[in-house]
Amino acid sequence: MVKTELNKRSPLRVFEKSINGGVGKGNIGVIASKKGVGKTACLVHIATDKLFRDRHVIHVSFAQKVDHIITWYEDIFKEIAKKRELENAVEVHDEIIKNRVIMNFSKDGTNTDQVLASLRAMIVDGKFAADSVIFDGYDISEAGAEDVAKLKDFAKELNLEIWFSASLKGEDPVFLDNGVPEELSGRIDDIDVLVTLKFEGAYVRLQVVKDHGNLETKDMNLRLEPKTMLIAREQ
Amino acid sequence: MKTDITNMRNIGISAHIDSGKTTLTERILYYCKRIHAIHEVRGKDGVGATMDSMELEKERGITIASAATNVTWKDHDINIIDTPGHVDFTIEVERALRVLDGAVLVLCSVAGVQSQSITVDRQMKRYNVPRIAFVNKCDRTGANPYKVKDQLVEKLGHNAVMIQIPIGLEDKHEGIVDLVTMKAVYFRGPDGDDIVIEEIPDHLKAEAEEKREEMLDAVSMFSDELMEAMMEENVTEELIHDAIRRGTLSQELTPVCLGSAYKNKGVQSLLDAVVAYLPNPTEVENIALDLDNNEAEVKLESVEDKPTVALAFKLEDGQYGQLTYIRVYQGTLKKGDELFNTRSKKKFKVGRLIKMHSDHMEDINEALTGDIAALFGIDCASGDTFNSPGLNYSMTSMFVPAPVISLAISPKDKKAADNMGKALNRFTKEDPTFRTFVDPESNQTIVQGMGELHLEVYIERMKREYNAEVEVGQPQVAYREAISKRADFNYTHKKQSGGSGQYGRVAGFIEPLKEGEYEFVNEVKGGAIPTEYIPACDKGFQSALAKGSLIGFPIVGVKVTINDGQSHSVDSSDMAFQIAAVGAFKEAYPKAKPVILEPIMKVSVEGPTEFQGNIFGSINQRRGIIVSSSDEGAFSTVEAEVPLSEMFGYSTTLRSLTQGKAEFTMEFLKYGKVPQSISEELIKEFQEKNKKDS
Repeated sequence: MVKTELNKRSPLRVFEKSINGGVGKGNIGVIASKKGVGKTACLVHIATDKLFRDRHVIHVSFAQKVDHIITWYEDIFKEIAKKRELENAVEVHDEIIKNRVIMNFSKDGTNTDQVLASLRAMIVDGKFAADSVIFDGYDISEAGAEDVAKLKDFAKELNLEIWFSASLKGEDPVFLDNGVPEELSGRIDDIDVLVTLKFEGAYVRLQVVKDHGNLETKDMNLRLEPKTMLIAREQ
Repeated sequence: MKTDITNMRNIGISAHIDSGKTTLTERILYYCKRIHAIHEVRGKDGVGATMDSMELEKERGITIASAATNVTWKDHDINIIDTPGHVDFTIEVERALRVLDGAVLVLCSVAGVQSQSITVDRQMKRYNVPRIAFVNKCDRTGANPYKVKDQLVEKLGHNAVMIQIPIGLEDKHEGIVDLVTMKAVYFRGPDGDDIVIEEIPDHLKAEAEEKREEMLDAVSMFSDELMEAMMEENVTEELIHDAIRRGTLSQELTPVCLGSAYKNKGVQSLLDAVVAYLPNPTEVENIALDLDNNEAEVKLESVEDKPTVALAFKLEDGQYGQLTYIRVYQGTLKKGDELFNTRSKKKFKVGRLIKMHSDHMEDINEALTGDIAALFGIDCASGDTFNSPGLNYSMTSMFVPAPVISLAISPKDKKAADNMGKALNRFTKEDPTFRTFVDPESNQTIVQGMGELHLEVYIERMKREYNAEVEVGQPQVAYREAISKRADFNYTHKKQSGGSGQYGRVAGFIEPLKEGEYEFVNEVKGGAIPTEYIPACDKGFQSALAKGSLIGFPIVGVKVTINDGQSHSVDSSDMAFQIAAVGAFKEAYPKAKPVILEPIMKVSVEGPTEFQGNIFGSINQRRGIIVSSSDEGAFSTVEAEVPLSEMFGYSTTLRSLTQGKAEFTMEFLKYGKVPQSISEELIKEFQEKNKKDS
């Protein structure tokens, strides 16, 4: 399969459809689940899908080794290439990773201003034309209202789509009646798109809890493949 | 006195530039009573540290050549190889690592694990060198040995364990608490000679207990006896030493020492750790290749009465002629012995044999197995193996990277020309990554190496040591050409008019080869090309690869398949088929969509976060791709891939962009395709140059 065909058939098109075409520039999307369900895999798949479509992505992580993150991308790419029998996989890979930058920050002592200053330096001074920024490991539920406002302004100013992962505490996080995790209820107005991951039997299902103005839980008919951690259509 | 091999240590001191390893070495020499006064690297007395023997090193404050020196500490013989810290000289580091049994990884307590430490550490891993970490400069503002220990774990993946904790940091740094003996150690007196051992100060007791527990937990993994003793609460110092030693030798544990060489703190304790935890020569496995037995691997034995096997790992041009540093891997090397050089196949007699202390030397009669010594007046190249007659072993070939940059040089006058020849002869023997040849077309002398600084240093050395003034051309990148698709050929070489004729036809195709430089496949059936001419075809294709038609650089990554052809009973010859193959390649090459490749460097820039924007910008301007950036508070590291051709003069640019506060290292990563626009420029330049020449 060639790249364009792969993009057309990607389950991420289903994902986009269920959130009204995507998070959209200047907006914030969040993937929430308890620990160890597959948030990072989801984010990396979303980022890789963007790279496949020649978009520029910055992956922001906190206190993870850069090598680990690169390995995530390599694995997800390999699985996609294998599943779709991608032609010229090596060339495609070398081409698309040019559009990805990983920015790593130490966990303690880094504040939102610093992160945004570094991002700005990368986009403006480094002339990296980012379309999306993936924040993995930034705790949006604990971030102050001021910080979230800064992030939103930043996304609007530089015309970025920003994805966050939110790690819900405990083995059995509490969800409100409208599907919103309790921990995120205070932030829900700032979030444009909220997707939750939940175990259902052997699989992890993806659900849209908030789709822009629409706060109504919908099933995406997508799940995480247990072996490859890829987002896939439900059969 | 005869040396007991188990009391011998061959160690290296490796580190990032400016983390103070030359100062540390200087202190070690002083405490081991090899020198009588301490000189600073960039000291006011103008003498300079003893290990930096070359004038140039003194001037630049960096260590270039690795000098070996021998010291004695508490009845142990320690050979120290001082290794350069700049990445452009990594062949020196790699060569030194080859002969080491253990190493001290020096880290700055403020800057922590820097890019060069990562490179050096990777090299040490490759040569299986057990290591001890020494967190230096604990007297500096912002010193934090705990952070450095964490970085050893996070960045280098070491199982790093503190075996000491500091007594005071920054300007209050007084000494260390030894977590094995649970005593406070102070280094008093103007040069830190007076070691005072006292009880641990009250305010550090709790911390010392806690860190000792951590240490015991980590090191007891390597000793069941210690684990048992811990449960029975009768832990002894010997048990702990033994466990740390086992862990270190298995390279699964890195004991962390600390101090400040400059302020004379902690060096003696580090020496104790070297003796206690790093291996002696008998504890290291060394493999040689038996050249008489198809390069089969042979395990060498550190036994004195076995036939001698020694490796020449370093050449130096001293006042009295050529000095060859050797390491004896097996047997004993005695004055007057006859040895056999397995590369040159020549025998020679061991004349003067010495032990080096930087600039001073000591005559010895024999070098025992495991020892490092130097020979006078031996004609050899570095990397040669010497055997007792009858053996034909070679130490495993050392990894030598291909040069990525070249420079045309021309002597300023006749005298300089003679001296330049001598200098080049010497340098190429000393350093396999430094190469030289005369370009047959331009008649210019070309030198090749691993980076701008690498070549600059040799040009400086030519001037200083050989009085050879040379003019230097523009640095030239080692481009390559390659094909990107399959193309067929069917070529007939025919010359049958008068005299003896020539005839040969070859047909087949060329295609890109993913791995390797060249592959030749013969699929000719039914003797269309007689078997005897097949090697001539192969040779012809190979000769065609030497110079591509795009910009005249070698072509790499080509698979040639021949599947048909024709010969003539009288007029065909080796020569005819060779010419036919060259013609065939020239026919197919333009059809195979040839492209130009350029060396891409892995560049790592470190600097204060406030200059991040400038650093990002400078990489972007150089066609670089930023792979990652890591912020650690005030400091950040940027990893990028940048074409070598864009890196000329980067050190100057970076200095001015960051007020001299950032630094960078680079090493060759891969060959990458040159973008279309630049490719066109290069082709145009090449064509214009050709026009001018013809």
